[in-house]
Amino acid sequence: MTTTEWIGARAPRREDPALIRGRGRYVADINLPGTLHMAILRSPMGHASINSIDASEARAMDGVHMVITPDDIPDHVTQFPVIWRLPGQKDSGTPALAEGKVRYVGEPVAAVVAESRYVAEDALDAIDVDYEPLDAVTDAEAALEEGAPVINEDWGDNVAIHHVFAGYNALGECHYDAETFDNAEVTVRGRLKIGRHSGIPLETRGIVADWDEVHGRLTVHSESQVASLFRTELAASLGLPETAVRVLTPNMGGGFGNKWDRYPEDLLVSIASMELGKPVKWIGDRREGLMATVHGRAQVQEWEMALQSDGTILGLRGKVINDLGAHLHSVGIGPAWVTGAAAPNQYKIANYYCDVIAAATNKAPSSTFRGFGGPEGIFGAERMMDKAAKQLGMDPAEIRRKNMIQPDQFPWFNAAGAVYDSGNFPECLEKALEAADYDRLRAEQAELREQGIFRGIGISSYIHVSGFGPSPILGYLSYYTGGYEGSTVKVDPNGKATVYTGMIPMGQGTETTLAQVAAHHLGIDMDDVRVVWGDTDQTPYTGFGSAGSRSNVAAVAVIRAIEEIKAKAIRIGAGMLEADADDLEYAEGAVSVKGAEEMRSVTLAQVAQQAYWAHALPEGDQPFLEATYVYDPPNFTTASGCHVVVLDVDTKTGKITFQNYVIVDDCGPVINPLLVEGQIHGGVAQALGGALLEEFVYDEEGQLLTTSFMDYLLPSFTDVPDMEIHHVVTPSPHTDGGFKGMGEAGTFPPGAAVANAVTDALSHLGVEADELPITPSRLWGLIQEATG
Amino acid sequence: MKPAAFEYHAPESVDDAVGLLSSHEDAKVLAGGQSLVPMMSFRLARPATIVDINGISDLDYIQCSDGVVQIGATARQSALEESCEVAACAPLLAEATGHVGHRAIRNRGTLAGSLAHNDPASEYPAVLMALGASVTAVSSGGSRVLSVEDLVSGHFLSTALGPDEMITEVSVPAQSGGHGFAEFARRHGDFAVAGVAAVVNMNGSGVASASIAAFGGTSPARLDEAESALVGSDGGSDAVAEAAARAASQFPATDDIHGSADYRRALIDVLTRQALQQAIAGAQEV
Repeated sequence: MTTTEWIGARAPRREDPALIRGRGRYVADINLPGTLHMAILRSPMGHASINSIDASEARAMDGVHMVITPDDIPDHVTQFPVIWRLPGQKDSGTPALAEGKVRYVGEPVAAVVAESRYVAEDALDAIDVDYEPLDAVTDAEAALEEGAPVINEDWGDNVAIHHVFAGYNALGECHYDAETFDNAEVTVRGRLKIGRHSGIPLETRGIVADWDEVHGRLTVHSESQVASLFRTELAASLGLPETAVRVLTPNMGGGFGNKWDRYPEDLLVSIASMELGKPVKWIGDRREGLMATVHGRAQVQEWEMALQSDGTILGLRGKVINDLGAHLHSVGIGPAWVTGAAAPNQYKIANYYCDVIAAATNKAPSSTFRGFGGPEGIFGAERMMDKAAKQLGMDPAEIRRKNMIQPDQFPWFNAAGAVYDSGNFPECLEKALEAADYDRLRAEQAELREQGIFRGIGISSYIHVSGFGPSPILGYLSYYTGGYEGSTVKVDPNGKATVYTGMIPMGQGTETTLAQVAAHHLGIDMDDVRVVWGDTDQTPYTGFGSAGSRSNVAAVAVIRAIEEIKAKAIRIGAGMLEADADDLEYAEGAVSVKGAEEMRSVTLAQVAQQAYWAHALPEGDQPFLEATYVYDPPNFTTASGCHVVVLDVDTKTGKITFQNYVIVDDCGPVINPLLVEGQIHGGVAQALGGALLEEFVYDEEGQLLTTSFMDYLLPSFTDVPDMEIHHVVTPSPHTDGGFKGMGEAGTFPPGAAVANAVTDALSHLGVEADELPITPSRLWGLIQEATG
Repeated sequence: MKPAAFEYHAPESVDDAVGLLSSHEDAKVLAGGQSLVPMMSFRLARPATIVDINGISDLDYIQCSDGVVQIGATARQSALEESCEVAACAPLLAEATGHVGHRAIRNRGTLAGSLAHNDPASEYPAVLMALGASVTAVSSGGSRVLSVEDLVSGHFLSTALGPDEMITEVSVPAQSGGHGFAEFARRHGDFAVAGVAAVVNMNGSGVASASIAAFGGTSPARLDEAESALVGSDGGSDAVAEAAARAASQFPATDDIHGSADYRRALIDVLTRQALQQAIAGAQEV
C-alpha cells in the first residue's frame, strides 16, 4: 500500500505472518535453563472444610523440589485485592491457596514444583487432604435464602453487595416514580436467565517466574492483559518493591477479559521461584482453564416495564441477581453493576430503578468477560422491548422507533448515571431492517408457517459504553486504578518511528492499529513504524488495559504524542529552512513553507538527523525527537448499533438454523475496516456460543460437569452464520479522531436477537425464550409446555 | 493433564499381544487412541501396561469375500470411509463413519477400538448391531466369535471382552435391502444426543425384514418392538410412525447435560422416521 492516509485503510494485520506460520512465541514456548514445573492440587469438592493436608509423601518423591501448602506460604504474602470496591461491598480477595476450606471445585489447595510436569502431577496424587464436606449452594437465589450455607463466614451471609440504582442520572436528577408502575395503562413483566459461561482463549493461562537472587529481581513472563497493574499488584502481594518486578508479555492467544484478572498461580510460581532460585513454570491445561479461570455472565433478572397503550415507555425497574461464585475476584461485582447501568439501553427511560444483588455460590468466581456486564443488560432491555411489543400488539421495530433517543438529544444522561456522547440509533435500526429486508420477511412469515417452516426475526439494538474511562470517574466509582493510556513515540535519526504502548495485544490487532494511527499522523509508511509492547521495563504504565475497547484511548495518546513531535519538527525545520516557524506546516512526512510557490521543505528524516546531531537546536529544545503523552479521556465513548437475526426453529427437535445475520455497527470513524469486521465476527460468534451452546453446568454439590470441550460446547465455524456488516459513523465529539471502542460490541446484542427471533418464530405457541443458552433440549421442553 | 506412569509394549504379532495381555495385570490395548489417550491424560484411566497394536501390520486390512466385509483391528475409520468394499457391501457403515467425530479423529481412530471402548453415544455399536456384525476376540487361550450385540449390550464404557482378550477383526455381513441413518448432534462432529440406524428389506407385499438400532442412552439398543411393528406392513407412513413411536418408548433413554430423557425419546421418534424413510426408499430401489 502506498498511502499516508492510513486511517480507514484495510491494512493487513502485521501480527499475522508470524502467528499464522507458527512463529509466535507464547508463555508455553518460554523455556529458561533449569526451569521447574508446577502442578496444582485443586479441590474436588464444591464446599468442604480442610481438616489437614499431609504432603510428606509428595515431598519425599524423586524429582520433587517443593510442595506448597498453606503453611508454606511466607507470612508477608498477601491475597490479590479486589480493585473495584463499591461502597457496601463485602471484603475478599484472591488467596494463593484455599485457607481452611474450599469453596469451589478447582480451587487451589496445594502446589507441587518438580523437574517435570509429569512428576509434579504424580506428586499431586501423593498429597493426602482430609476434607469434611459442607452443604453446598449452587443456585444464586437459593444462596440468598435464610439458612443457606454461608460460603464466606466473615461476610455473615452470601450477599456480596446489594447495590441500588435509584434512578439518578449524571446530573444528579432522579426521576424514579414507583406510582407510575401502579397506574400505567400497560405493565409488562419478565424473568430472564443467562447461563454461566466465559471467554475461552485458545491459549490457556500460564506463567513463568524467574527470580534473580543476585540482583533481587523477579522477571515474570505472563499472559496478563494488564501488565502494569499486574506488576503493581504482584509486587505488593509478594512484599517486593515494584522496581524489583519486571513483567514480560509474549504473544497472547486470546484474553477475552479473564486474563485481566489476577490468579492464585501468579503468586504460587513467584513464591516457588523466589524460594528455589530457579525459573518455575505453570501452564494451565484445558480442564484447569474451564474450572479455575473466572467465569462470567450468570444472572437472573426480573423486570417490569410501564408503558402507555401507544407504546411509549414510562419506566423500567428490576432486579439483577448475579451468580458471583465463591468469592469476589479482581473486579468485584463490576460486571453486574454495568448490567444495571446499561439496561436503559437506547431508550428514553428516565424513570428507572434497579436492585443489583451479587450472591456467593459454590462455583468458580465470576468476573471479567468481554462485554463486562453490558451484554447482560442489553439482553434484559431487548427482551423486555419485545415482550412489551407483543403485549401491545405492536411491531418490535415500531416500539423501538417510538422510544429511541434521537440524534439531537446527545449528550444523553441515562437514568443509571452513564453519559452517552453521541450516536444515531434510529439510523442504525432502519439500516439493519432495510438490509435484512424486514418488511418482506414479515410478509413471508405467515405463509412459511403454513408450510410448517417456523421462521423468526429478532432485533436487538445496543449501546456499548466504551473507552473506559476518565480516571476521576473511576475514582468516583471506587475503581482503584486510572483510566488513561500513555504512549511514547520516538522518531529515530533515520526518520522511522517506534511507538511504545502499555496496551497488551491479545489478538485483536493492537499493533496494526497503533502503527496505522502513527503512520497516518506522521505521514510516513506503516512499515516505518514499529510498535513495542509487552515489557514493563520499556513501556508506559497503563492502569486499565482492557484493550478490546481501548484502542480509541491509546490511539489518542499516540496522536497527541505525535502532535508534540510535529511541533518540535517545525521548530527544528524553521532553522533548517531559515523560515519563521509560524510560516511552516507539517504534512506528508515533511516540514514545508505554507503556500510557497516553490516547494521548500525538509523531510522528517532530515529533521530527525538534526535533532540527534543537535548542532543547531532551537533554544530550549533538547536533543532527540520523541514525546510521551498520557491521555485521560474526558468521557466514555458510546458505540451503538443494531443486529437483526433471521432463523428457523424445528419444533420437533428444537434445532435452530440461521437464515441471515445483519449487523449495523457505529464505532465512529473506522481505523481499519478489516480489523473491525474481524472483531465483530469474533464477538458475535462468542455471544452466539453463550446464546445457544456454552454453559458451565454444576450439580447440587457443586461438582462441575463441563470440564472438557466434549461437554462445554464452543461454536465452531459450522455453528456461526455468515454475517452482513454495515456501518453508521457518528464520531465521538470528545476524542481526537472521533474513535469509539469496538472490540467488545459484537458480544452485546446476539443473545437478545436470537432469543427474540426464537420467540418470534414460535409466537403462535406462546413460547418465550427467556433463558440462555437456548439448547435444543431446553427449547423442545418449552415447546412441549406450550403445546401441552 | 499428564498420564500416570505406565509400562509400554509394542508387539509385532497378535500372539505376542495377547501374551502380554495375559501376563500383565491391568493391561490395555492401544489402537487409534482417540478415547484411551484423553482418558489417560485426565487420569480417568490408569492402565499399568499399554499394549500398542499399531505395529502389528497384518491387522490393517479391509476386505470383502463370501458376502462378508472383514475389517482388521488397526484399519482406520478414514479407510472405511474411503473403501470401495465398504461402500459396496456395507453402505450403512460407510455413511455412519462420516458422522464419527472429525476427519482428524477418523484418521487415527479404528472401528475395533471404538467397539472395545463402547461409548453409548458413539455410532458404531448401534450401526453394527443393525448390520448383524460380529467380532473375533483372541486371547492366549484361543479365539471366539461373538456378535456385536452380545459384545456391547448392557455394558457402559466396557464390553463382554475378558481382560486378556483383544478384538482382531470385525465381520460385517454384506448388507441387503436399503439402509437409513440419522443422528442429532449439538454440533457437527460431536457425539450425538441420539441416533438411529436401520436396514430394511422389502418384498412384493411390503416390509420383509427390518433391523433397527439406536444409540445415545446408557447403552446402544436393538429396537425389536419397532422392527416387529414394521415387518409385514406396507412400509407406508402410518407403519413408519408406529415403528418410530415404539422405538421411542423402547429406547433406554437417560438424562444428561445435553438432553433430558424425554427429549431423547422425542428425538428417537423423529430420527427413526427419518432413518426408516431413507431405508424403505432404498429398499424399494433394490
